[in-house]
Amino acid sequence: MTTTEPVTDDAREAAPGAVARLVHSPSVRLIARRLVAAVPIVLGVSILTFIVLSLIPGDAAQLLLGPEATPEQIAAMHRQMGLDQPPVQRYLGWLGGALTGDLGNSLVSGQPVTGELGSRLAVTGELVGLAFVLSLGLAIPVALLAAYKPNRLFDRVSMLVSITGLAVANYVIALLLVLVFAVQFAFFPAIGFVPIGQGIGENLRSMLLPAVSIAFPLFCFYTRFLRGDLVDQLRGEDYIVTARAKGIGPGQVLLRHAFRNSSFGLLTVVGLNLGTLIGATVIIEQIFALPGIGQLLLQAINTRDFVVVQACVVVFAVVAVLANLVTDLLYAVLDPRIRYGNR
Amino acid sequence: MRTRLQQLIACVGVILVVAACGGGPAGTSAGPAGPPQQGGSLTTLVTSGFAGSWPSGLDPATNTTGGANLSHMNAIFSGLFKLVADDDGGNARVEPELASGYEFEDGGKTVKVSIREGIEFSDGTPFDAEAVAFNWERAVDSSCTCAPRWPLVEEGGITVEGNTVVLKFTQPYAAVINSMVVSNANWIASPTALEKMGEEKFKMKPVGAGPFKVVSNRLSSELRLTRNENYHKQGRPYLDELIIKSVGGDQPAYQAVLAGQAQVFEGMVTTPLIDQAQGNPQVTVTPQPPTSPYVIQLNTKKAPFDEQKAREAIYYATDVEAIRKGLFGNRYPAAQTFTGPGGMFHDDTVPGYRTYDPEKARQLVKELGGLTVHLGTIKQYVAEQINTALQSQWEEVGIKTTIDSHELNSLIGNFNSGEWEAMLQTAGAWDPAAGVGVGFRFDSEAPFSGVADPELDTLLDDAAATIEPQERDELYAEAGKLISDKAYAPFILAFAPTNIAAEGVHGPGVTTKIPPVLVNTGIQWDEVWMSQ
Repeated sequence: MTTTEPVTDDAREAAPGAVARLVHSPSVRLIARRLVAAVPIVLGVSILTFIVLSLIPGDAAQLLLGPEATPEQIAAMHRQMGLDQPPVQRYLGWLGGALTGDLGNSLVSGQPVTGELGSRLAVTGELVGLAFVLSLGLAIPVALLAAYKPNRLFDRVSMLVSITGLAVANYVIALLLVLVFAVQFAFFPAIGFVPIGQGIGENLRSMLLPAVSIAFPLFCFYTRFLRGDLVDQLRGEDYIVTARAKGIGPGQVLLRHAFRNSSFGLLTVVGLNLGTLIGATVIIEQIFALPGIGQLLLQAINTRDFVVVQACVVVFAVVAVLANLVTDLLYAVLDPRIRYGNR
Repeated sequence: MRTRLQQLIACVGVILVVAACGGGPAGTSAGPAGPPQQGGSLTTLVTSGFAGSWPSGLDPATNTTGGANLSHMNAIFSGLFKLVADDDGGNARVEPELASGYEFEDGGKTVKVSIREGIEFSDGTPFDAEAVAFNWERAVDSSCTCAPRWPLVEEGGITVEGNTVVLKFTQPYAAVINSMVVSNANWIASPTALEKMGEEKFKMKPVGAGPFKVVSNRLSSELRLTRNENYHKQGRPYLDELIIKSVGGDQPAYQAVLAGQAQVFEGMVTTPLIDQAQGNPQVTVTPQPPTSPYVIQLNTKKAPFDEQKAREAIYYATDVEAIRKGLFGNRYPAAQTFTGPGGMFHDDTVPGYRTYDPEKARQLVKELGGLTVHLGTIKQYVAEQINTALQSQWEEVGIKTTIDSHELNSLIGNFNSGEWEAMLQTAGAWDPAAGVGVGFRFDSEAPFSGVADPELDTLLDDAAATIEPQERDELYAEAGKLISDKAYAPFILAFAPTNIAAEGVHGPGVTTKIPPVLVNTGIQWDEVWMSQ
């Protein structure tokens, strides 16, 4: 849609001011600073990954050619894969490509990694996103209810569920969920992924059990964490006493005062949990046969396909950096006193 | 090869399923076939650690995991020859499929393979002797270890005579046809499609003359196939669509079959889960006839096993029956030689074979002044279980034993170093001369052999070169006796995976038995059908 309204002189004068305000806005400066700082982090991760992959035992050529391969065949395969080049040259070659969006070709299949990662990122992204939404969406109300009347029945039941969830590994939860909801009741598929293009309902059906498998331990952790923090705030903080003294009802105190402060801690934990989530996707994607990055990463590790492993790790690093950036921005949203730009 | 993750999932899953599911009528087996029905989409699951891994694509000239990807390759390419058997797995034999026959000449130094007339690839181009010769030349020139190792003469090793391809060898090679079914040379790609697409694209979407065509291929994840209307057999395949999906282990695969997301699971190995499945009327459980037994390779080229007494002590200290019963519920038969009951030239027993006798073992250890052994194996569920049992059995008779398991690379490194002492491996194949056959573990020249015995080499070479089956049988029996007499390597049990099919699925290799050519069974997908 295009506007037909004439651009006034005032608007013309205001535009540079608006741009200047935007440029000098603390949030924008924060984003810019953090993005610049992210460059050496991602670079460092890629170098470290490359070094580790170069040092660990195992050889893609040997694995690809099998136990009967002769040294000559292995050497030929090394040349074909470019593994005969010095490590620094290989890294710089990879980096040069990566800067232009080309993450190289798989050592094993010869197929471009960038395209493969792109399609798989959507699956893993949806899985992680859904797991976050489910875990937080349930943990916050449950923690609020538990903290509202601590040590009552609801609090104790939620504690029991949380401790159980924390004690059980996510692959056990996954197998149990499949057993109950796929095998016994056939509500959801046991394996497989339906792309969103084939219907959002079917897509969600295919992703729900994997997402719950990841989300449940997180939900349990977030619930205990938030509930504990809320109870601490409600018991001992001066601002709570002041709010109560002003006659604010307990529900309002919990929601508008205690929860706002407790959400900082929760936010930090959620940001830090991203690494756990990535680890979980590797296992869960295997169990549910989801064509995501976790599955790709595991296959690449098994075949010592260092190019693919390197690309996956760098993608994960970028996502982690961005998640931390979003977390920092949310701090500013939650607490207007924070002025990152003035630091 | 299974990963730790898969093993963990399998263990946990077994506990869950056994706890959650009650047993149904026991002993479920292949149901009545009835008249085959046309149509339907079938999903078959393969474990990501083995058949579900096809990282280098599906071009026969470069697919290094072709021996594991039998379903993928047979569905796309069919085969010049195929291994068939009666429903119970007996009378296994190699029959021509896209070939129409073969003939040995010159005492086995020449073989003529005639090609069936009137066949087309799924792209409509002719499947003929020229195409086969093109593929074989390409395969022989390939740097891939999947390349056939034929002892071809230097000039004119592969030639075409009409619609017949002629192979000329420097020495008699009678096992060439039986070896074909375990070789990528059995799968013939369309030369036209290969030229048009280029190798990189072809390996993703190969074109053959098999019952199915590739729709999409996500490496080591999902292969989607549709019916090949050009298939040479009238009315075949029965299925409209075949989907091959990689899954993380036995447990998720079994649950997916129960939940209806898949109709077949190939290659279940987790024993308690197989027991569970056999009590479930929803599935047909088909244990395949074992061909390749587990063997404890002893490195006779260095101490302590350069001394026969030490090797004999291992024979006497190994209680195969306890392992069979305790770990595998008598599911797999004991072996005394290099071919399982499903394989050719099998003998249940070998005269004079040394069986469990702890007293004799103790005595030998005493005479040796003690015996310390390091026993290795590959990281795999069944192998690691056996090794743990062996360690405790050997310790019982005073053999100090350490065990470890290796990834493939590390295992190869151990063999290449020559420093290994004992290794639990599988030996043999359906035909002992085929693929990773008996020579792989016992030939003096093989890098993965602990034996250097010219007499044994001669026996194995002669057996591979001999056309007459009776003569071959006698030579292999002699070789088995020699291995036993010299105490080169005690055999444990002959293991083969089990196939699981949902109710209403029928077909050779799925609900009937076909001996695994190497590890898994070559399912004949053109004959598989589903009740509609």
